[in-house]
Amino acid sequence: MTVNYHPSTELLTAYAAGSIPLSQALCLAAHIEMCDSCKQNYKRLRGLGAFMFGQGSEQEHAASRETNAHKNLRQQVFAQIEQDKAVESTQEKAPALLQSQLQEDHLGKDHLGKGRLSSRRNKADAGVKTQTRIPKCLQQFIPTSYEDLPWQRVSPSIKQVNLCSDANGAQVALLKIKPGGSSGHHTHMGDEYTMVLKGAFSDETGIFQQGDFIVRDKKHRHRPIATKDSECICLTVVEAPIQFTGYFSRWLNPLLRLIHPSYAMQNQ
Amino acid sequence: MSKSTLNAQSQEAVAAHLEECMRRTAQKRDKAAFGELFDHYAPLLRAYSLAREPGAMLVADELAQTVLVKVWNKAQTFDKQKASLNTWIYTLARNSRIDMLRRNSRYTMEIDPEFLWAEEVDEQADPFVAVQQKRAEDTIANAFQHLPIEQQEVLTKVYLEGKSHQESAEELKLPLGTVKSRIRLAIQKLQVLVGR
Repeated sequence: MTVNYHPSTELLTAYAAGSIPLSQALCLAAHIEMCDSCKQNYKRLRGLGAFMFGQGSEQEHAASRETNAHKNLRQQVFAQIEQDKAVESTQEKAPALLQSQLQEDHLGKDHLGKGRLSSRRNKADAGVKTQTRIPKCLQQFIPTSYEDLPWQRVSPSIKQVNLCSDANGAQVALLKIKPGGSSGHHTHMGDEYTMVLKGAFSDETGIFQQGDFIVRDKKHRHRPIATKDSECICLTVVEAPIQFTGYFSRWLNPLLRLIHPSYAMQNQ
Repeated sequence: MSKSTLNAQSQEAVAAHLEECMRRTAQKRDKAAFGELFDHYAPLLRAYSLAREPGAMLVADELAQTVLVKVWNKAQTFDKQKASLNTWIYTLARNSRIDMLRRNSRYTMEIDPEFLWAEEVDEQADPFVAVQQKRAEDTIANAFQHLPIEQQEVLTKVYLEGKSHQESAEELKLPLGTVKSRIRLAIQKLQVLVGR
């Protein structure tokens, strides 16, 4: 897949460091699943974090090892792994069938999860062809398919479904634009992160396709239009609610005020 | 031989020894080997936690304990073809910190972070990428000390203190744009990224 628009260096760095709100991390994770070059760069940026983590004064670390706190912690950790080991050995006495299950558990959630997800994926592949693979990070909100979500009509050509909100009030939503439909002129109070999950859209600055990642700040006033051949589904993270600025769509603002939690907070 | 080469050599020897301890921990469930890992990493983990929350000794102990118990329990999943031991443990520490930030509601409970950084789960190790990554890590180690102090400072905020760009800007009394450009310049100088 050719992805043309990527997160900035500093945003990818913050993601690798784990120092961004989870809503933004969600959007970046969805992009990285579809973009091999960002995946590779993410790993290299994580390597930088590991390097910095491993630095520090050897003298200080040596002194730290001599403290009672270190010795106490050592005791606690060893006590805990002893306890875990005791649990493991009682499991060994369990019947063979149960034991194989436990072993699978021991291999970890990741292993089990993978099996479940791939079987789900196979089912999806065998089913309706219009279904697109849902990024793993989004499956917690989209368990089956985009079609099965409780879409709400926002305008004749736009449907929206809210997925969750972040601690900073940012709203995470999916936006579905009909083929050739437009979402109307709008600006934002804060930054808006958009990630194209399916289809494509264009605005004054370019054409954005599946996998593309775009950040718009409050300076931008734009009017996205879905391409004519198919509907477009985007993941959006809006730090503060959208303001529609077009003449005909200004009436949408009070509606969004009802939908967006930070509007609700303003009204309280 | 210059001091820095000596230093690099001894660091490499330490890294090799720790990897051997990790192998013994995973394959033989060797507690003495795990004890050496503990002694090396507990101070690093504590320092990592204290960087974000200075003075919070209990939080630091909790993070160190959580991560080190995971190191023991998940030892078999460590694969040095995919990431170095330092990277593996750093990743566990970063993820544990995110979990703790969720529990004290500074991060939202509505988003489950499990698959947000879980990129390694379904991936095959690629020896070519592994070699490249090793080379990138060496470049970083050599170039980091030559970075201007103000660039090291923003990287410390973001990576070790876990601060957002906005928080970093406020604490360093700098415009947001300056923080971002310093990060970009530092990453460029360290030659971290490919294809940019």
